[in-house]
Amino acid sequence: MPNKGPKGRKNIILVFSILLFSLALMSLSAKQQKEMSFLDSLTSLTLSPFQSLFTQSVQSVSDVINNYFYLVSVSKENERLKLEVDKLGNEKNELIERISRQKRLAGLMAYQEDRKKDSLVASVIGRDATQWSKVVVINKGSRHGLKKYLAVVTNSGVIGQIIFAGPNTSKVLLTIDSRSAIDSIFQDSRVSGVVVGTGKKQCQIKYVPNTAKIKVGDRVLSSGLGGIFPKGLFIGTVFQVVKKKQGLFQEITLTPGSDLSKLEEVLVLLS
Amino acid sequence: MYYLAQILIVLILFSIQTTWLGMFSIGGVVPDLALIWVVYCAVHCSRTMGVGSGVITGILQDSLSGGLLGVNTLSKSFIALFFSALKDKFYVEGVIPVAFFLILSSLFDGLVFYLSMNTVLGGEVATSFLYQSLPAYSLYNGIVGPVLFFALNHLEGWLKLKTSKFYMTWVK
Repeated sequence: MPNKGPKGRKNIILVFSILLFSLALMSLSAKQQKEMSFLDSLTSLTLSPFQSLFTQSVQSVSDVINNYFYLVSVSKENERLKLEVDKLGNEKNELIERISRQKRLAGLMAYQEDRKKDSLVASVIGRDATQWSKVVVINKGSRHGLKKYLAVVTNSGVIGQIIFAGPNTSKVLLTIDSRSAIDSIFQDSRVSGVVVGTGKKQCQIKYVPNTAKIKVGDRVLSSGLGGIFPKGLFIGTVFQVVKKKQGLFQEITLTPGSDLSKLEEVLVLLS
Repeated sequence: MYYLAQILIVLILFSIQTTWLGMFSIGGVVPDLALIWVVYCAVHCSRTMGVGSGVITGILQDSLSGGLLGVNTLSKSFIALFFSALKDKFYVEGVIPVAFFLILSSLFDGLVFYLSMNTVLGGEVATSFLYQSLPAYSLYNGIVGPVLFFALNHLEGWLKLKTSKFYMTWVK
C-alpha cells in the first residue's frame, strides 16, 4: 500500500505529459504546418528507400509466388519444361508490364501535350500509413519543382493535390480523403457544387440544390475556382442521386474518374 | 544491436503498411500494423520502452499520414500506457485475449481520430465512420494481430538468442 502513492502519481504525471505533448503537437500542426515540415521530411527521407524497394518488389514477389505454386505440383519429368515455361512466363510478364507502363505513360504524355501546360510525370511509391486518411506518396519533390497545392491528375481525371513537398518525395491528398474539397460544375447542366471526400472509395457533391436536374452518369468537372485545379478537369461521374423531401440540397455520390486504389503513374500540373 | 533490430522492424512494418498492405484491403479497410506493434511492445517490453515505442510510433505514423500531427501520438501513447499497466494484471497472450485487446485498442484509436478530426481540426468525418469503418477496422486488426504477435514472438526469441551470442563473443 505505501508504494501505491508514488506509483499513482507517476502514472498521472505520465498521462498528463502524453496529453500535453499530443495536444501541443496538434495545435502546432493545425496552426503552423510549415514548422512541422522538418519531421515530415525526415521520416519521408528515411522511409522512401524502403518504400521504393518494397513497391518495386511487389511485381517480382507476386510473379515468384504465382510461378512457385505452379512449380510445386509438377513432376520431375516435366520440371525442365515447366521451368522453361516459367522463365518465358516471367519474360512475358515483364514485357506485358513494360508495354502497359508504356501505354500508361503514353496516355499521360498525350494528356500533357493536350494541356500545353507545364507538368511532371511521377510514380506512386507509397500510401498513407494510417487507415483513415487517403494519401499517396510520389517520387518527386521540391528538387523537381513541386510545391504545396499543385494539382495532381491522370489521363482519367483529377486524383488530388500536393499537401507536402519534401526534397525527393511529395504527399498527395486524394479526392476521396475527408479533408479534400474541390469546387466543381456538372458538364451538362452547369450546376455548381463542391466535391468532398468521404474517406471511402467514393466522393460526395455538396450544395447542389434540390431543384437542379442531376442524373446518374452525369460528368463532373473542376470549376477552376479555388486556384488549385484548372477549369475543366474531369473529376468523376455521378453514381447515385438522393433527393430528400426535407432539406435544400441533394445527396449526390460520385465515382472518381481514376481508380484511386490502383495508382501507378500520375501527372503533377506545375502551373 | 537488439534496439537496432527493433528500429529496422518498425521501418519494415511502416514500409509494408504504406506499400503492400493496400493489396489486402477489404472494403477499403486495412489493418494497422503500427497499432499492433505498439500493443506488442507494451505487453512484451518494459514500461518505459513500451510507452516510448507508443510515442515514437505515433509520431512516425503522424508524420507519414499527412494528417494532423499528434492524433496518432495521443492514441498510440495511451494504448501503450494502458497495456503496460494491464500486463501485470491480465494475461495478454494467446489468440483470443490478443484479438480482444486489439479490437478494444482499435476502437479507441478510431475514436481518438474521430474526436480529434471533428474538434481540433474542425474537419468533417461522417458519423457513419463510427458504425461502418471503425468496427471493420477493429475486427481486421483483431484477426491480423495474433498472427503478427506470433511472428514477432518468434522473431524476438531469435533476436535475443543472436544478440546474446553476439554479446558473448564480443565480451570474450
